[in-house]
Parts: sequence; C-alpha cells; structure tokens
Amino acid sequence: MNGIGGVIAAVLVAGAQIAAVAVGGPLLVGVMRKVRCHIEGRVGPPIHQPLRDLRKLFSKQCMRPDQASWVFGVGPVVLVATAVLIAAISPLATTHPPLGQTADFFAIVFVLLLGSVALALAALDTGTPFGGMGSSRAMTIGALAEPALLVAILAMSIPAHTSNLPALVRIGLAHPQLIASPERFLALGSFLVVILAESGRLPVDNPSTHLELTMIHEAMVLEYAGPDLGLVILGESMRLALLLGLLVNLLAPWGIADRAGAAALVIGLGALVGKVVVAGIVIATFEVFTAKLRLFRLPELLAGAFVLAVVGAFTALVVR
Amino acid sequence: MSGSAYASSLELASGVVLVCAVVTLWRRSLSAIVKALAVQGVALGVVALILGVGKHDGVLIAVACLVIAAKGVVIPVLLGRVVAGDPASREAAPIVNVPASLVGAGALTFLAYGATGSVVALIPTTAGRLIPLGFATMLIGYFAMAVRRKAVSQIVGLLLVDNGIALVAFLATAGVPLLVELGASLDVLLAVVVLRVLAAQMWSKFGVLDLDEMRELHD
Amino acid sequence: MLAIVVLAVPFAAGIASAVLPWRREIGWLCTATIGVVLVCGIGLAARVVHGPPITAFGGALRVDALSAFMVIVIGAIGLLATWQSVRYLSLEIAAGRSSRRHASLYSALVQGFVTAMLLAVLAGNVGVMWVAVEATTIITTFLVGYRQTRGSLEASWKYIAICSVGIAMAFLGTVLVYLAALHVGHHLHANLDWTSLMAVSHHLDPGVMRLAFALLVLGYGTKVGLAPMHSWLPDAHSQAPAPVSALMSGVLLTVAFYALLRFKAIADGALGVAFPRALLVAAGLLSLVVAASLLLTQRDYKRMLAYHSVEHMGLLALGAAAGTPLAIAAVLLHILGHGLAKGVLFLTSGEILHAEGTTEIAQIKALLARRPALGGIFGFGLVALLGLPPFSLFVSELNMVRAETQVGLGWAAAISLGCMAVIFGAVMSHGRHMLFGSGPDGERVHKTPGIVTVPLIGGLVGCAALGVVAWPLDSLLRAAAQVVAL
Repeated sequence: MNGIGGVIAAVLVAGAQIAAVAVGGPLLVGVMRKVRCHIEGRVGPPIHQPLRDLRKLFSKQCMRPDQASWVFGVGPVVLVATAVLIAAISPLATTHPPLGQTADFFAIVFVLLLGSVALALAALDTGTPFGGMGSSRAMTIGALAEPALLVAILAMSIPAHTSNLPALVRIGLAHPQLIASPERFLALGSFLVVILAESGRLPVDNPSTHLELTMIHEAMVLEYAGPDLGLVILGESMRLALLLGLLVNLLAPWGIADRAGAAALVIGLGALVGKVVVAGIVIATFEVFTAKLRLFRLPELLAGAFVLAVVGAFTALVVR
Repeated sequence: MSGSAYASSLELASGVVLVCAVVTLWRRSLSAIVKALAVQGVALGVVALILGVGKHDGVLIAVACLVIAAKGVVIPVLLGRVVAGDPASREAAPIVNVPASLVGAGALTFLAYGATGSVVALIPTTAGRLIPLGFATMLIGYFAMAVRRKAVSQIVGLLLVDNGIALVAFLATAGVPLLVELGASLDVLLAVVVLRVLAAQMWSKFGVLDLDEMRELHD
Repeated sequence: MLAIVVLAVPFAAGIASAVLPWRREIGWLCTATIGVVLVCGIGLAARVVHGPPITAFGGALRVDALSAFMVIVIGAIGLLATWQSVRYLSLEIAAGRSSRRHASLYSALVQGFVTAMLLAVLAGNVGVMWVAVEATTIITTFLVGYRQTRGSLEASWKYIAICSVGIAMAFLGTVLVYLAALHVGHHLHANLDWTSLMAVSHHLDPGVMRLAFALLVLGYGTKVGLAPMHSWLPDAHSQAPAPVSALMSGVLLTVAFYALLRFKAIADGALGVAFPRALLVAAGLLSLVVAASLLLTQRDYKRMLAYHSVEHMGLLALGAAAGTPLAIAAVLLHILGHGLAKGVLFLTSGEILHAEGTTEIAQIKALLARRPALGGIFGFGLVALLGLPPFSLFVSELNMVRAETQVGLGWAAAISLGCMAVIFGAVMSHGRHMLFGSGPDGERVHKTPGIVTVPLIGGLVGCAALGVVAWPLDSLLRAAAQVVAL
C-alpha cells in the first residue's frame, strides 16, 4: 500500500465495512424479528422495518429531560462511535483491514466496554429509578461476562501465539485444525453466551418486553426519544452485527477476502453477510424456544461460560 | 487415518467428555443432566473407537461399541426412568451453589493437571497429553457426589467418576487387558442397576428421592 | 485341584440355595460347605507352607502361604456365621418378617459373597482380584438391605455409593500400575499378574507409582474402613443382619486389607519404604483417633462394634506400615483373632437383639443376670477385642507395637496405645452398663439353646488358644509374612 492510492483504498475498505455494519445491523435485527414471527405463526413486519423506524426517529425533534446533563447526549454518540471504530478495524470482510493492523482482540473488547459504560452512565444521568435499575443490572451482567470473554480470548490466542485479531483470523484460515480443536470450541461457546448477555438477547434479557421491572437494557433507554433514541438503536444493532461477525469469522472464516482486490472484497462482504444472517436465524430460533432466566440465575449461566473458557484456556496451555 | 486428523478428533472427543462433566454441575434439571451423561458415554466410546482404529485393534473396537451401548444408551435410559418417576425432577438447592461449584470444577481441573504430571511425562503421545482430562472428570464426579442431595445426582456423580477412569484407562494403555475392562463395565452396570432398585425402594418407602430425607442413622 | 474345589463348592451351594425354597436342611448344607472350605484351606496351607505356591488355570489362581492363610480366615468365620444363619433365618420366618423365597435369596447371596471373597484371595492377577472385590460390594449391598426397613435402605445406599467410588479409585490405581509396568523396558508385553509385577517392581516409574499407590490406599482403604472413608461402616454393619455383619466386619474388611498388602509389596519395591509407610501411618492414626472419639458417645451397641472395627483396621494399617516380617506376622495373627472375636460378638449381638428387641445400650441391663450364657459370651468377647490376655489379640498387638518401635514408628505406636486406652475405657463402661446389675425381681433366667452358644464359645476358645499356643499356625504365619514383608 503506497501513498495516496493506499490511503484511498484503506478508506474505501474501512468505509465498506462500516457501511455494511451500519446498514446490516438494523437489517439483521429485522431478519431476526421476521424469523421469530414466522415460527410463531405470524406475518410480522418487513425486514427493512428497523431502517424505516430509524429514519422516522432521526427526523423527529430532539427532546431531552431538563435535569439531564451533557452526559445524556454524549452516551449514544460514544456508543455509535465505538461501534464504527470497531467496524473499521476488525477483520470482517478482509483479513487485512488496512486500518486494523494493530487491532488487538483485548483492545476491541475494551472499546466495546467503553460503549456499554457510556450508555449506563447516561442512563444514570436522568435520575429516574428505572434508569438506575437498568444501569446496575447491565453493569452486573457486564462484570460477570467480561472475565469469561477475556479468558475465552486467551484460550483462542494461546494456540495461535498472538492476540492480534486479523492475525487470528488469518491463522484460522490457514490451519483449519486450529479451529476444530476443543479449546476453540469451548472459547467460542463461551463467546456466544457472552454475546447473548452483552447484546441483551434471550435468555438474558427480552428485547421486546414492556414490563419495566423485567427490563435490563430497555430500562436504560427508557428516557431517550427522537434522534438520541435512533442513535441508541443503531448502536445496539451495530454491536450485535459486529459481535456476530467476529464470531462467525473465528468459527468459519472461509469466504473472507485474504488478498487485495475489489472482487475479493465483494465476495468477502457477501460471505460475511451470509454467515451473519445464518447466525442470526439460529439465535432467533433458539430465542423462540427459550424463556428468560430469572435475574439471580444469571450468575450461574455466566459462571458456566467462565468455567468453559477456563477449561479451554487450560487445555490450550497444557495440552499443546 | 492421517496423523493430525487422528490427534484432533481424539482431542475433540476427550474434550467433550470433560465438558459434559462440567455441564452436569451447571444444569439444574435432572433430565438435562442425564442427557449430558448420555453424550459423555457416546464420546467415551468414540475415544476408544478412534484409538482402536488407529492401532488396528479389533478387540478395542468391539469394546468401544459395547461402551457406547452401555454408557451411552442403557444407563441413561435406566436413569431417565427414575427421573420420570420423580415429580420433583429438578435439583433442589445443592449444598454448594452452582457458580461456586463451577469454580470448584475449574480448580479441580487445575489439580488434575498438577497431579498427573508424572503420568503424562511417561507417555509422550497425543493420547498421553489428554490423560489429565480423564482425571479432571473423575474429580468432578467425586465432587458432584459430595455436594448433591438428590439420589439421581449421586448416581450421576458415580458414573462421572467411572467415565473419567475409563477415559484414563483407554488413553493410557489403549485398554487394560480385556477381561478386566469387561469386568469393570459389567460391574458399573450392575452398580447402576442396584442403585436403581434402591431408588425404587426409597421412592416407595420415603416418598421422595431426596437423600436429605434419609437422616435416621447418625451419631 | 484343592483350589478349584475351594471355589466351586460354595458356588454350587449358592446356586442350589437360589433354586430350592429354603429349609433348615439347606441351611445346614450351606454351613457344611463352608466347613469343607475351611478343611480345604488347611490342606492348602499344609502344602504351600513348605513347598512352592500352587497355581491353577495357567496362573489365574495362585495359592501361596498368604492366600492359604486368608482362606483359613474366611473359612473359620464363615463357618460361625453360616451356622448362626440357620437359626437367624428360622427365627425371621417364624416371626413373619421374611419368607422362604427371601431366605433362599439370602442364603444364595451369602454363598456368593463367600465365593467372591475366596476368589479375591486366590486370584493371581490383581485385575481379577479387583473384579472379585467389586462383586462383593454389589452382593453385600443387597445383604445389608435385607431387612428392608428405612434404616437398612439408607445404610445400603450409603454403602454402595461410597464403596463404589472407592472401588473405582482402586481400579484407576490398578490401571496406573499396569501403565507403569507397560513402560518398563521398551514396551514389553505386560500383564497384571502379581508375580510378574513383583518381578519388575524395582523398575516401575516412581512418579506414577506414587499416584497409583495413593489412589489404591484411598480406594481399597474405603473398603477396609480406614478414616476418612469410613462413614459407611457404622451404618452398614449395624443395619445388616447379624451373620452378615459378622462376615463383613470379620472378613470382608480384611480381604480388602489383603489387597492393600499385595500392592504395598509392589510399592515397596518401586518407591522404597518411606512413602507407603507414611500413607499407611496417616490412615491408621486417623482411623484410631476417629474411632476413639466416636466410641465415647455411642448409644447403640452394634454401631459400637462397628466403630471398634475401624479401630482395629487402623491398628492393622500401622502394623503394615512397619512392614517387617514380625510386623506382618502379627498383622496376620491379628486378622484371624479379630475376625473370630468380632464375628462372635456380632452373632451374640444378633441374639441379644432378637431377645431384647432393641439395639440401644441404655435399654439393656443386667444381661449376665438374666441371660447368663449370652451375657458371658458377650463379656468375654469384649475382653478379647480389647486385647486382654489370654486372647490372641493381646499377643498380636504386643508384637505389632514391638515391630513398630523397631523401625522407628515408636511415636505412632505410643499414639495408638493412647487411643486404645481411651477405647478401653469407653467400651468397658458401655459393657458394664449392659452386663452388670440385677434384673427386675421375679424375672426368670433365660436359657439360650446350646446350638447357639456352642459355636460361639468355640470361637472364643479358638481365639484364646491361638493366644496361648502358637504352634499350629507358627510356620504358616512366618511363610505368609515372608511373601509381602520387607
């Protein structure tokens, strides 16, 4: 990559990934909703309904509570900004994201955490009881899920001798036996449970609940309206799409572009979209048949994910 | 079978055995625990099968099929009948709560790796490196027997101990002499039958399958 | 040939009693079978004490001096137990608590139990030995739960749960020993024969053998009743029918101990003396301390006898830890003496239970006044068990202490003597409460039938005779000790 040509190519690739995630995120949510409705025997809204909802929200007047401070407005922006950053540097469509040569997996996790913390702080900022309740629940789940996630990443990094995310995906593509190994499966299993916890899907949190006392994520965003709410919804759907994209690229990296060229990039984007849609359908189907766990049973679920990750890390460390 | 496919399938099957042991500590529903045990039995048989195919040992392959039949099918079916007969088929709060027992399982895995260093050093092959997984399963089964209150959970713990030991036996020696292995499997089957009979008697005398109810004998 | 007869005769008797409905004649037949076993055992002992070990079935069965001695132990106590079983079963059927079908099941199970124990001591292959010990666990579970009360159900559940785990650990230990043997000298074909394991014992990998021996002590130690794996013992031995308790407490524990002795010999070769000694001393002292502390507050005389077994198993472990020929000979003599005395006591307590209807110490008084024969036998049995002369336990305990002091375990011997003193006091006070005092006026003196008292007195007399005169067994004990001693 040299000079102006290199910079333009980098911007194009990053822009393609960001656009894919930004548009694909709400579409993914729409697909999952449609699958649920079909299984439940209903027709359901069209797949692009979330995009229309976003357009509606962004055209509304911006309303903020009087007693909220600047944190209230900054929270959703930070959420979307972190999602955009990760979309730019992650190996989603290509194994050589031009801006992501130093994209360390641990760093990506902390950037995601930054987004969650920003939203939680913003919810506290309103001063309402539901905001505080939602923040504390979300942070509790985060505190239990983060160790599991970190140990799972450790388990994946040890056999590959690196925690650089694009390198991990490249090594997985080159050596399939690293993927078909117990520690990778354990780590990805743990990762999946953490994804369900962090993005507020069943069995951790019901994304379509209207009962305030059972809300976790919804309670945090109860006070948002108009463009702020649009940013929050966009950020959440982008995070879901990102996390699922990382999961599928670590589990089944075939199709991803590993050399330069527009054709390879397009194929890579297509493969990404396909795999993420499949993952989303699987999760949506699973959600139909699952009930929400009681709040104080969540530590059991996340402790199980933690132990699976620990066992995987130990297997990676000692059995090799 | 090529070298790396042999190694990774062996690792995968052994890993499934350990994961099923952890799942029995994780889930509360007794029927889910029995299903995990069935999966573990099949995985154990697959390990023996892979070893037998790798060594072209017909006897070991036959033993593997026997193991899959006995531990993957017969014993879980027997246990399933006991569970179906008990209306309260969820584990009541165990003596150690679920997150703590899961952390305990992790600690026991560490302990297993530490204690079996000399054994692993003796066998430098892929199979040898996986022996600590069998030890860990055995320790987790021991732990499960100590902290569970339901009778079926104690049987599950005993079966975990036995599956772990069978895994170690297969990996370490590619089968102890056939007579002993058959004797061991038969004895486990008999032990489970006996426990089933006792569970049925317990059900008729006590009305529940909760071991906490049986506290008449003590000092 | 004799070895095969020893196994075949009780096996056939077991099948016969399973098939035919129970009558007193069948019961006497079973007793006679065990008598045949005892006689054959003496015959075997006479042959191997000065000659080479006998093998059969190509080495699957192997009779050396140690095995022959154990056959005599099993035969002697089995004879007492089956003799009493006849009366026990007749009483149960007469009282309506059992049926003939059930009694024939009992009889068959007892014969199967004895056969399995005989197989365990006669096996030349440690794998077959393991299978036989596991078989005894399964058979005795049904025997423990024979009375089908809530208590016996709880006891049999605990028994099989704990002992199955123990046996599984012993299996893992056996597998590890086999593994170590496989890796001696370029993967030569190895087998689980005890003789070939002994031959290569000096070349076995020490790390693996350490782990294996620890697992074997934990595993077989569960069946022996060493603390901390002893919790099944009081329940199982107190809830089982009296003849079964006598067999279990007198013989089964020591058969498991025999298995430990065989493995200790291999471990001594591979690891030297220090590590096995340390493990056995720890287990033995812990058992003694646990038994001493729990005997002080016992309220049930059958549980008291069961905890007393834990104490004696601890003493055996200490003696085996010393490991010299004198120590092992004393251990073997102790096995026989303890088996006889404990068997007699359990059988007597079965009679007392039937006569008085309760197992609580507090509710039994003035046994000597009201039932002199039973009270006398019980009293003398307690005296025997506490290690007082002239009974053989005095001699064996003395020699064990001597041997322990000789090898530098004097401190352990001192602790064991302290525990034994505590137990002496506890058992004496319980026994005094049960035996002495005067009964309510006007109650007549019950006479116990001779058919009950004669064999029990015979057992006690045998125990005493062994303590005074050693010659019938002297050479056998020496030869047996040489097999596994250092």
